[in-house]
Amino acid sequence: MAGKVRTRIFVDMTPMVDVIMLLLTFFMLTTQFRPPQEAEVTLPSSHSDFKLPESDVMTVLVTSDDRLFLGLDSQNDRVKIFGEENRLKPGILVPDRQTLGNLMVKARLTNPKLRTVIRGDKKVNYGAIEDVISVLQEKNITRFSLVTELDTK
Amino acid sequence: MAGEVAAAQPKRQRRGSKKAKRPTRVGIRVDLTPMVDVLMLLITFFMLTTVFTTPQTMEINLPPDETPVEVAESSLLTLRVMADQTIYWNMGMEAVQKVAFQDLRLLLEDKLRNNPKLITLIKVQRDATFEMMVNILDELSLAQITRFSMAPFKDVDLRFIEKGLGG
Repeated sequence: MAGKVRTRIFVDMTPMVDVIMLLLTFFMLTTQFRPPQEAEVTLPSSHSDFKLPESDVMTVLVTSDDRLFLGLDSQNDRVKIFGEENRLKPGILVPDRQTLGNLMVKARLTNPKLRTVIRGDKKVNYGAIEDVISVLQEKNITRFSLVTELDTK
Repeated sequence: MAGEVAAAQPKRQRRGSKKAKRPTRVGIRVDLTPMVDVLMLLITFFMLTTVFTTPQTMEINLPPDETPVEVAESSLLTLRVMADQTIYWNMGMEAVQKVAFQDLRLLLEDKLRNNPKLITLIKVQRDATFEMMVNILDELSLAQITRFSMAPFKDVDLRFIEKGLGG
Protein backbone atom coordinates (compact mmCIF):
# COMPACT_ATOMS: atom_id res chain seq x y z
CA MET A 1 0.00 0.00 0.00
CA ALA A 2 2.72 2.34 0.96
CA GLY A 3 4.60 1.73 -2.23
CA LYS A 4 1.71 2.63 -4.45
CA VAL A 5 1.67 6.36 -3.97
CA ARG A 6 4.79 7.61 -5.59
CA THR A 7 5.21 11.25 -6.46
CA ARG A 8 7.64 11.80 -9.20
CA ILE A 9 9.84 14.72 -8.22
CA PHE A 10 10.88 16.81 -11.11
CA VAL A 11 12.73 19.95 -10.24
CA ASP A 12 12.73 22.63 -12.86
CA MET A 13 16.40 23.33 -13.47
CA THR A 14 15.90 26.24 -15.85
CA PRO A 15 16.41 29.09 -13.34
CA MET A 16 19.46 27.32 -11.97
CA VAL A 17 20.89 26.98 -15.44
CA ASP A 18 20.24 30.68 -15.97
CA VAL A 19 22.14 31.67 -12.88
CA ILE A 20 24.99 29.31 -13.60
CA MET A 21 25.25 30.59 -17.15
CA LEU A 22 25.49 34.13 -15.83
CA LEU A 23 28.23 33.16 -13.39
CA LEU A 24 30.03 31.27 -16.10
CA THR A 25 29.93 34.24 -18.45
CA PHE A 26 31.21 36.46 -15.67
CA PHE A 27 34.15 34.23 -14.91
CA MET A 28 34.93 33.65 -18.55
CA LEU A 29 35.05 37.35 -19.25
CA THR A 30 36.98 38.36 -16.17
CA THR A 31 39.56 35.60 -16.30
CA GLN A 32 42.88 36.94 -17.38
CA PHE A 33 45.29 34.25 -18.10
CA ARG A 34 48.81 34.84 -17.01
CA PRO A 35 50.50 36.82 -19.75
CA PRO A 36 53.02 34.67 -21.56
CA GLN A 37 56.63 35.21 -20.66
CA GLU A 38 59.61 34.75 -22.88
CA ALA A 39 61.24 32.61 -20.25
CA GLU A 40 60.16 31.24 -16.92
CA VAL A 41 61.69 32.77 -13.85
CA THR A 42 61.29 31.98 -10.18
CA LEU A 43 60.58 35.22 -8.43
CA PRO A 44 62.10 36.08 -5.08
CA SER A 45 59.63 36.70 -2.30
CA SER A 46 59.12 39.85 -0.29
CA HIS A 47 56.62 41.46 2.08
CA SER A 48 56.04 44.42 -0.19
CA ASP A 49 52.37 44.98 -0.90
CA PHE A 50 52.51 47.13 -4.00
CA LYS A 51 50.72 45.45 -6.84
CA LEU A 52 52.27 45.25 -10.25
CA PRO A 53 50.39 47.65 -12.54
CA GLU A 54 48.51 45.97 -15.34
CA SER A 55 49.26 48.34 -18.17
CA ASP A 56 52.11 50.56 -19.31
CA VAL A 57 54.78 48.27 -18.01
CA MET A 58 58.20 47.77 -19.46
CA THR A 59 59.71 44.58 -18.13
CA VAL A 60 63.35 43.70 -18.06
CA LEU A 61 63.51 39.97 -17.66
CA VAL A 62 66.73 38.49 -16.33
CA THR A 63 66.72 34.72 -16.59
CA SER A 64 68.73 32.34 -14.49
CA ASP A 65 71.18 31.82 -17.35
CA ASP A 66 71.88 35.57 -17.55
CA ARG A 67 69.89 36.31 -20.68
CA LEU A 68 68.15 39.65 -20.92
CA PHE A 69 64.71 40.21 -22.39
CA LEU A 70 62.89 43.47 -22.77
CA GLY A 71 59.14 43.17 -22.75
CA LEU A 72 56.26 45.57 -23.28
CA ASP A 73 52.65 44.84 -22.44
CA SER A 74 50.88 46.72 -25.20
CA GLN A 75 50.96 45.49 -28.78
CA ASN A 76 51.06 49.00 -30.21
CA ASP A 77 54.20 49.82 -28.31
CA ARG A 78 55.75 46.53 -29.34
CA VAL A 79 55.18 47.26 -33.02
CA LYS A 80 56.65 50.71 -32.65
CA ILE A 81 59.75 49.62 -30.81
CA PHE A 82 60.45 46.03 -31.76
CA GLY A 83 58.95 46.11 -35.26
CA GLU A 84 55.89 44.49 -36.80
CA GLU A 85 57.27 40.94 -36.72
CA ASN A 86 57.45 41.01 -32.93
CA ARG A 87 53.87 42.12 -32.39
CA LEU A 88 52.79 38.91 -30.72
CA LYS A 89 55.96 38.25 -28.80
CA PRO A 90 55.83 39.41 -25.20
CA GLY A 91 59.45 40.44 -25.29
CA ILE A 92 62.61 40.24 -27.29
CA LEU A 93 66.05 38.99 -26.44
CA VAL A 94 68.46 41.84 -25.88
CA PRO A 95 72.03 40.98 -26.83
CA ASP A 96 73.88 43.58 -24.77
CA ARG A 97 73.52 46.47 -22.36
CA GLN A 98 73.98 49.12 -25.02
CA THR A 99 70.99 47.82 -26.98
CA LEU A 100 68.95 47.56 -23.80
CA GLY A 101 69.58 51.19 -22.97
CA ASN A 102 68.74 52.39 -26.46
CA LEU A 103 65.55 50.35 -26.64
CA MET A 104 64.46 51.65 -23.25
CA VAL A 105 64.98 55.26 -24.23
CA LYS A 106 63.06 54.65 -27.44
CA ALA A 107 60.24 52.97 -25.55
CA ARG A 108 59.98 55.77 -23.04
CA LEU A 109 59.90 58.37 -25.78
CA THR A 110 57.07 56.48 -27.46
CA ASN A 111 55.10 56.01 -24.29
CA PRO A 112 56.16 58.30 -21.45
CA LYS A 113 53.80 56.59 -19.03
CA LEU A 114 55.84 53.39 -19.11
CA ARG A 115 56.94 52.08 -15.77
CA THR A 116 60.08 50.04 -15.55
CA VAL A 117 60.11 46.79 -13.68
CA ILE A 118 62.88 44.26 -13.30
CA ARG A 119 61.81 40.67 -13.21
CA GLY A 120 64.77 38.64 -12.17
CA ASP A 121 65.20 35.03 -11.33
CA LYS A 122 66.02 34.65 -7.67
CA LYS A 123 69.03 32.49 -8.37
CA VAL A 124 70.63 34.88 -10.83
CA ASN A 125 73.82 36.61 -9.77
CA TYR A 126 73.33 40.08 -8.41
CA GLY A 127 75.89 41.30 -10.92
CA ALA A 128 73.45 40.80 -13.78
CA ILE A 129 70.85 42.88 -11.97
CA GLU A 130 73.43 45.48 -11.07
CA ASP A 131 74.28 45.87 -14.75
CA VAL A 132 70.63 46.47 -15.58
CA ILE A 133 70.33 48.99 -12.76
CA SER A 134 73.40 50.85 -13.98
CA VAL A 135 71.89 51.00 -17.48
CA LEU A 136 68.74 52.44 -15.91
CA GLN A 137 70.73 55.01 -14.03
CA GLU A 138 72.63 55.94 -17.16
CA LYS A 139 69.35 56.56 -18.93
CA ASN A 140 68.01 58.53 -15.99
CA ILE A 141 65.40 56.00 -15.00
CA THR A 142 65.79 56.32 -11.27
CA ARG A 143 62.39 54.95 -10.36
CA PHE A 144 61.82 51.31 -11.01
CA SER A 145 60.44 48.27 -9.30
CA LEU A 146 61.52 44.74 -8.68
CA VAL A 147 58.88 42.09 -9.23
CA THR A 148 58.53 39.75 -6.30
CA GLU A 149 56.09 37.25 -4.98
CA LEU A 150 54.22 37.86 -1.78
CA ASP A 151 55.88 36.20 1.15
CA THR A 152 53.13 34.75 3.26
CA LYS A 153 55.34 34.00 6.21
CA MET B 1 4.97 25.36 -52.48
CA ALA B 2 5.22 28.50 -50.40
CA GLY B 3 1.70 29.47 -51.26
CA GLU B 4 0.39 26.14 -50.20
CA VAL B 5 1.97 26.35 -46.79
CA ALA B 6 0.69 29.86 -46.27
CA ALA B 7 -2.77 28.77 -47.21
CA ALA B 8 -2.71 25.71 -45.03
CA GLN B 9 -1.66 27.54 -41.95
CA PRO B 10 -4.78 29.57 -41.11
CA LYS B 11 -6.97 26.66 -42.05
CA ARG B 12 -5.41 24.37 -39.56
CA GLN B 13 -5.55 26.93 -36.83
CA ARG B 14 -9.23 27.55 -37.41
CA ARG B 15 -9.97 23.89 -37.36
CA GLY B 16 -8.00 23.41 -34.17
CA SER B 17 -9.84 26.14 -32.35
CA LYS B 18 -13.16 24.69 -33.39
CA LYS B 19 -12.44 21.16 -32.31
CA ALA B 20 -10.99 21.74 -28.86
CA LYS B 21 -10.86 24.78 -26.68
CA ARG B 22 -7.34 24.04 -25.60
CA PRO B 23 -4.94 23.18 -28.39
CA THR B 24 -3.05 20.03 -27.68
CA ARG B 25 0.27 20.97 -26.32
CA VAL B 26 3.07 18.58 -25.80
CA GLY B 27 4.87 19.49 -22.65
CA ILE B 28 8.53 19.14 -23.41
CA ARG B 29 10.53 18.64 -20.31
CA VAL B 30 14.21 18.39 -20.84
CA ASP B 31 16.18 17.02 -18.00
CA LEU B 32 18.68 19.76 -17.36
CA THR B 33 20.66 17.99 -14.67
CA PRO B 34 23.57 16.91 -16.92
CA MET B 35 23.77 20.42 -18.27
CA VAL B 36 23.97 21.80 -14.76
CA ASP B 37 26.72 19.31 -14.02
CA VAL B 38 28.78 20.41 -16.97
CA LEU B 39 28.24 24.08 -16.25
CA MET B 40 29.23 23.60 -12.64
CA LEU B 41 32.43 21.96 -13.78
CA LEU B 42 33.19 24.86 -16.09
CA ILE B 43 32.47 27.35 -13.33
CA THR B 44 34.79 25.57 -10.96
CA PHE B 45 37.46 25.58 -13.62
CA PHE B 46 37.19 29.30 -14.22
CA MET B 47 36.97 30.09 -10.54
CA LEU B 48 40.11 28.16 -9.83
CA THR B 49 42.12 29.48 -12.73
CA THR B 50 41.26 33.10 -12.10
CA VAL B 51 44.48 34.71 -11.02
CA PHE B 52 43.98 36.59 -7.83
CA THR B 53 47.65 36.68 -7.05
CA THR B 54 49.07 39.48 -9.10
CA PRO B 55 52.77 39.76 -8.44
CA GLN B 56 54.00 42.29 -5.92
CA THR B 57 56.56 44.90 -6.68
CA MET B 58 59.16 46.63 -4.66
CA GLU B 59 59.71 50.17 -5.67
CA ILE B 60 63.19 51.60 -5.68
CA ASN B 61 64.16 55.21 -6.08
CA LEU B 62 67.78 55.81 -6.76
CA PRO B 63 69.44 59.18 -6.93
CA PRO B 64 70.48 60.09 -10.48
CA ASP B 65 73.97 59.17 -11.53
CA GLU B 66 75.56 62.57 -11.91
CA THR B 67 74.44 64.29 -8.72
CA PRO B 68 76.57 63.15 -5.82
CA VAL B 69 74.69 63.27 -2.54
CA GLU B 70 76.55 64.60 0.44
CA VAL B 71 75.88 62.56 3.52
CA ALA B 72 77.09 63.16 7.04
CA GLU B 73 79.43 60.37 7.95
CA SER B 74 77.76 59.79 11.28
CA SER B 75 74.43 58.96 9.72
CA LEU B 76 75.67 56.67 7.01
CA LEU B 77 75.08 53.01 7.56
CA THR B 78 76.81 50.78 5.07
CA LEU B 79 75.70 47.22 4.56
CA ARG B 80 78.03 44.98 2.65
CA VAL B 81 76.62 41.72 1.47
CA MET B 82 79.01 38.98 0.51
CA ALA B 83 78.46 36.15 -1.92
CA ASP B 84 78.43 33.64 0.94
CA GLN B 85 75.46 35.51 2.45
CA THR B 86 77.35 37.08 5.30
CA ILE B 87 76.44 40.66 6.02
CA TYR B 88 78.84 43.24 7.37
CA TRP B 89 77.70 46.59 8.64
CA ASN B 90 79.42 49.73 9.79
CA MET B 91 78.58 53.32 10.58
CA GLY B 92 80.57 55.96 8.77
CA MET B 93 84.17 54.83 8.66
CA GLU B 94 84.06 52.56 11.69
CA ALA B 95 85.32 49.03 11.43
CA VAL B 96 82.90 46.48 10.04
CA GLN B 97 80.91 44.08 12.16
CA LYS B 98 79.22 40.92 11.14
CA VAL B 99 75.48 40.52 11.54
CA ALA B 100 73.32 37.49 10.96
CA PHE B 101 70.41 37.91 8.58
CA GLN B 102 67.86 37.18 11.33
CA ASP B 103 69.25 39.98 13.50
CA LEU B 104 69.43 42.49 10.68
CA ARG B 105 65.98 43.94 11.20
CA LEU B 106 66.56 44.57 14.90
CA LEU B 107 69.85 46.26 14.09
CA LEU B 108 68.26 48.45 11.45
CA GLU B 109 65.37 49.43 13.69
CA ASP B 110 67.79 50.24 16.46
CA LYS B 111 69.96 52.40 14.21
CA LEU B 112 66.94 54.22 12.84
CA ARG B 113 65.65 54.95 16.35
CA ASN B 114 69.01 56.44 17.35
CA ASN B 115 69.30 58.49 14.20
CA PRO B 116 66.13 59.25 12.21
CA LYS B 117 68.23 60.84 9.48
CA LEU B 118 69.93 57.54 8.80
CA ILE B 119 70.92 56.83 5.25
CA THR B 120 71.68 53.30 4.27
CA LEU B 121 74.06 52.34 1.56
CA ILE B 122 73.88 48.81 0.28
CA LYS B 123 76.76 47.16 -1.45
CA VAL B 124 76.19 43.69 -2.73
CA GLN B 125 78.93 41.54 -4.16
CA ARG B 126 78.35 40.62 -7.77
CA ASP B 127 78.41 36.91 -7.02
CA ALA B 128 75.64 37.14 -4.45
CA THR B 129 72.19 36.06 -5.58
CA PHE B 130 69.42 38.43 -6.58
CA GLU B 131 67.29 36.82 -3.90
CA MET B 132 69.75 37.93 -1.25
CA MET B 133 69.52 41.51 -2.43
CA VAL B 134 65.72 41.40 -2.45
CA ASN B 135 65.74 39.97 1.06
CA ILE B 136 67.96 42.80 2.28
CA LEU B 137 65.72 45.41 0.65
CA ASP B 138 62.73 43.69 2.18
CA GLU B 139 64.30 43.90 5.64
CA LEU B 140 64.94 47.60 5.05
CA SER B 141 61.34 48.27 4.14
CA LEU B 142 60.12 46.21 7.09
CA ALA B 143 62.33 48.33 9.33
CA GLN B 144 60.69 51.42 7.78
CA ILE B 145 63.91 52.58 6.19
CA THR B 146 62.98 54.43 3.05
CA ARG B 147 66.17 56.30 2.39
CA PHE B 148 68.71 53.99 0.94
CA SER B 149 70.97 53.79 -2.02
CA MET B 150 72.90 51.12 -3.76
CA ALA B 151 76.50 51.19 -4.77
CA PRO B 152 78.74 48.71 -6.53
CA PHE B 153 80.88 46.50 -4.36
CA LYS B 154 84.50 47.25 -5.12
CA ASP B 155 87.84 45.77 -4.16
CA VAL B 156 88.25 48.62 -1.70
CA ASP B 157 85.25 47.28 0.19
CA LEU B 158 86.77 43.84 0.38
CA ARG B 159 90.00 45.27 1.76
CA PHE B 160 88.02 47.42 4.17
CA ILE B 161 86.24 44.35 5.50
CA GLU B 162 89.49 42.43 5.85
CA LYS B 163 91.08 45.32 7.67
CA GLY B 164 88.08 45.65 9.98
CA LEU B 165 88.07 41.99 10.83
CA GLY B 166 91.81 41.78 11.27
CA GLY B 167 92.24 44.86 13.45
